[in-house]
Amino acid sequence: MTAFDASVEMRPKLVGQRVKRTEDPRLLAGSGRYVDDMAPKGLLHVAVLRSDQPHARIRSIHVGEAFTVPGVVAIFDAHDLAGDIRPAIPASRMKGYYATPFRPLAEGKVRYVGEPVVAVVAESRYAAEDALERISIDYAPLPFAGAKEEAAAGDAPLLHEEAGTNVIIARTFARGDVDAAIAHAAVVVKGRFRMTRKTPMPMECRSYLAEWDRRREALTLHSSTNIPGIICDVLGACLDLPGHRVRVVAPDVGGSFGGKGSLNHEEMLVCVLARKLERPVKFIADRMEDLTAMSQAFDETVEAELAVDGAGHLLGLKADVIGDIGAYSIYPWTGALEPVQVVSFLPGPYRMEHYRGRVRGVLTPKPPTGPYRGVGRPTSTFAMERLMDMAARNLGLDPAEIRRRNLVTAEEFPYRTGSGIIWDRSAFQDCLQGVCALVDYPALLRQRDAAHAEGRWVGIGLASYAELTGIGSRIAVAPGMPINTGTETATLRIDATGAVTAAFGISSHGQGLETTLAQVVADELGCRMDDIEIQHGDSALVPMGTGTYASRSAVLGGGAATKAARVVKAKVLKAAAFLMDVAVEDLEAEGGIIRARSSNATITFRDVAHAVYAQMGCIPHAQREDLVASESYDPYLGTACASTHLAMVEIDPATYAVSVTRFAVAEDCGRIINPLIVDGQVHGAVAQGIGAALLEEVVHDDTGQLLTASLADYLVPIATTMPEIEILHVEAELPDTIGGFRGMGEGGTIGAPAAIANAVADALAPLGIEVDTLPVTPERLFRLVAAARNATSD
Amino acid sequence: MKPARFDYVRAESIAHAVEVLANAGGDGKVLAGGQSLMPMMNFRLVKPSVLVDINHIPGLDRIELGPGAVRLGALVRHRMTAQDLQVARHIPVLHHAMKHVAHLTVRNRGTFCGSVCHADPAAEMPMMTLLLDGTIHVASPHGTRTMAARDFLTGALTTALAADEMVTAVDLVPPAAGTGWGFEEFSRRHGDYALAAIAVLMERADGRVRNPRIAMMGIADTALRLTAVEAALAGREGRAHVFDEAAELIVASITPNTDLNASADYRRHLAGALARRALSQAWDRAGALSGGDTP
Repeated sequence: MTAFDASVEMRPKLVGQRVKRTEDPRLLAGSGRYVDDMAPKGLLHVAVLRSDQPHARIRSIHVGEAFTVPGVVAIFDAHDLAGDIRPAIPASRMKGYYATPFRPLAEGKVRYVGEPVVAVVAESRYAAEDALERISIDYAPLPFAGAKEEAAAGDAPLLHEEAGTNVIIARTFARGDVDAAIAHAAVVVKGRFRMTRKTPMPMECRSYLAEWDRRREALTLHSSTNIPGIICDVLGACLDLPGHRVRVVAPDVGGSFGGKGSLNHEEMLVCVLARKLERPVKFIADRMEDLTAMSQAFDETVEAELAVDGAGHLLGLKADVIGDIGAYSIYPWTGALEPVQVVSFLPGPYRMEHYRGRVRGVLTPKPPTGPYRGVGRPTSTFAMERLMDMAARNLGLDPAEIRRRNLVTAEEFPYRTGSGIIWDRSAFQDCLQGVCALVDYPALLRQRDAAHAEGRWVGIGLASYAELTGIGSRIAVAPGMPINTGTETATLRIDATGAVTAAFGISSHGQGLETTLAQVVADELGCRMDDIEIQHGDSALVPMGTGTYASRSAVLGGGAATKAARVVKAKVLKAAAFLMDVAVEDLEAEGGIIRARSSNATITFRDVAHAVYAQMGCIPHAQREDLVASESYDPYLGTACASTHLAMVEIDPATYAVSVTRFAVAEDCGRIINPLIVDGQVHGAVAQGIGAALLEEVVHDDTGQLLTASLADYLVPIATTMPEIEILHVEAELPDTIGGFRGMGEGGTIGAPAAIANAVADALAPLGIEVDTLPVTPERLFRLVAAARNATSD
Repeated sequence: MKPARFDYVRAESIAHAVEVLANAGGDGKVLAGGQSLMPMMNFRLVKPSVLVDINHIPGLDRIELGPGAVRLGALVRHRMTAQDLQVARHIPVLHHAMKHVAHLTVRNRGTFCGSVCHADPAAEMPMMTLLLDGTIHVASPHGTRTMAARDFLTGALTTALAADEMVTAVDLVPPAAGTGWGFEEFSRRHGDYALAAIAVLMERADGRVRNPRIAMMGIADTALRLTAVEAALAGREGRAHVFDEAAELIVASITPNTDLNASADYRRHLAGALARRALSQAWDRAGALSGGDTP
């Protein structure tokens, strides 16, 4: 394999170039096609009446005059669908776990404000919403524990009685003797860190359109999902349909950030309704519905203690994590996805012998938490990187120096962390050094010190982290989950016109994979990018594909594409060798032209394809092969991906506003397929990380009601929030993946919150303030400063 | 998020508009820029039976400098106010305030008069209308009348406008030559509704503050004109401690709300901090205009 790679290396063409995204012309010109652009004949629209109660028994539902609204076709509650669909079960092999059944409409009781209860189907969404106003639900409110700590208590009211507890996830990761390490350490620092709840907030809201084909008795769901294969499989099971009679298509999808990466109530709903009514049924979530009921993120409290020796070397870490997973364990990832990753990744990219991380996932009456860009790692990195800075301050060490002393070095790979993650070679140390060099760190420290001398609140924060990307079959993306997330398939074919089609199980929803995968295929096959169409986002394209999530598609999709292209190329060259009457070893292909090195004779891909397919008998039948291949790729372990972020902030002492004045990222994503796209991914992810650090927070009040149900209250970063982002790409020794790619789409959200938290704490160091809750809003800073000033004046 | 059923009437004239409003029996709404109304309708927080579109009535989209007043017609968009040279020249504090108004797409459509009618306690237009001794011109089927801004703005999202009336223009009094101005606003993100904001006008003579005018928003149910603070400040020497005292007086005199973004305590702090800045700015600018008169 390495020999083959070397030959690719010698003739670099498209991989590595800043190729403009081929998706953009259609998207920018308004020629994209999203689910809501589709309006098949006979289309019906669904509006959903949602629970206004956090926890209540449904006594009765009064439809009243809703049927009199012109255009209303049908109204359904859970009882009406009882025999039509089975619940989805988010199974896992985790011990002591309870899989909460997941249904299109609430059955018997409601468990969060926003949970779908009644569906109105009408000729227009307007009519459906008019009808909603005429339906009333009689609830018998039930007691509930809104806060995760209360919900975890033994006597808390149960959301799912069958589970017998609200704590449906409990795990511990341990190595060594952390209590002894803490007892004997020169320095112990601790904190209680809280990353509040977020919502993914893709630009396009969740959109679903189901069509029932009476002739074939088959279902097609057009869904703004990023996991069409997974959705297809679960719908087939819930609706009792074999795979060839269910198809899930994700057309252009306007972002997900994880919010479209799980099964949704409404996704099941449109399917069951389309089959029942034998008409196309569409549900388009509005912004309020997405903010209320899309899967949410984070929401953990991390109580952690870090032991360090006198020279700043890490000895051990002890952590107790409690995650608020909301009212349901999400399909397919389960509620363990987010909180368990917090304890898995908490030891960070550091050398440290002793570790004990305990985690509990607790049911509360809120929307389920699910995947969100960074999963678990933003929280773990926030907690660990805060502790690193606290330890450095305690020892009088520079934050960069304490990291340098503890980051795993190149000689130590593969390194197993206390939680069992194996870090393989990646630029852990180089990224730290790189970012410091990029910003001239010593000069930046002098700037900060000068500002402090003037009484200004200026601070610098670092955050180093590592993550696993492009994970293969060795590790499930979510713990114990019985779905194969470790392989992806590419089916590549050249047709009679010489056109190349490469079809994938992945599902690009903003990552630019149509561009990057075409770059990979073009280089490998020796054709032009223009000759290639990348197909994705359709469960029917390959036998098994799960989708795009967990920073996997460049690694797995790129690997599968490379393998398939190699097979097809061999077939093309074999046919060309016959047609040109030369030895196959004499041939090379570039730009769609095959050339014999010895004679300079050429033949085009198109001519070869024509000969193979159209000219009967041209190639003897015993030698003739279709120019197709289907290959799957499993990177087995996956790759480590390292980065260090640096933030500089200034806090206005009058308003407590935090301005990010500088932001720099050094990251190692292996061989870069397209630097333009990588930069864009870093920019976007850092923006979301800044949002998590300074602005974004889903708030439910004590009565279980959502207070952040509009974008006037849930604040996302905007252009004026964003600093210039400086990026340094560090390419360490390449990983053992085909092509040497690492995943990189999530990283920015992981490092930015911690870097900003550290910078804010650094700015307020003269007041002795530590940041333990994100976002650090003006209100929170006001209180921190007031408390610090009261403490000193006492 | 679709509005309830409503009728739509494209008004040909002011008379036509108010006639439709009168016939709606209190259930009609004027559509100008629609930047607050349409979201509220989509949330079904308001369900007018009839929407009276005034966008095609001629003559309402003008900013006119008259004797003693700048008149902004009912269809003057925020972007027009922001770019108008007469506003920039005669009411620089308003020109500056416009930089804080929402986002580009909202500024392109939203109107000055519409924002005054919406009476959001954290929006710039009601506050600036109070600061600039605004007069609201109102039409109804019975004729026209005018109201002082302080009488017009009666509470959060409520005004003295009757159901069959529409605002046709707002008059603002440009500050006298030599008046300095200060403006400070803080919101979580640029363009958002203010957590607190203050606008200050003052003249200076003999090292003393003359004719101070102070308006605030975001710290009460309505925008406020702080006349008691103005009275306390008038005639005082323009010194930092005097402005500190005025700021303290402001902090003591307001009773802000606690909401998602800010507690009452933080808002009080913010009001004081912004007031200190805006008062000094106004004083310094007044000095620069009157030339060399330093305290």
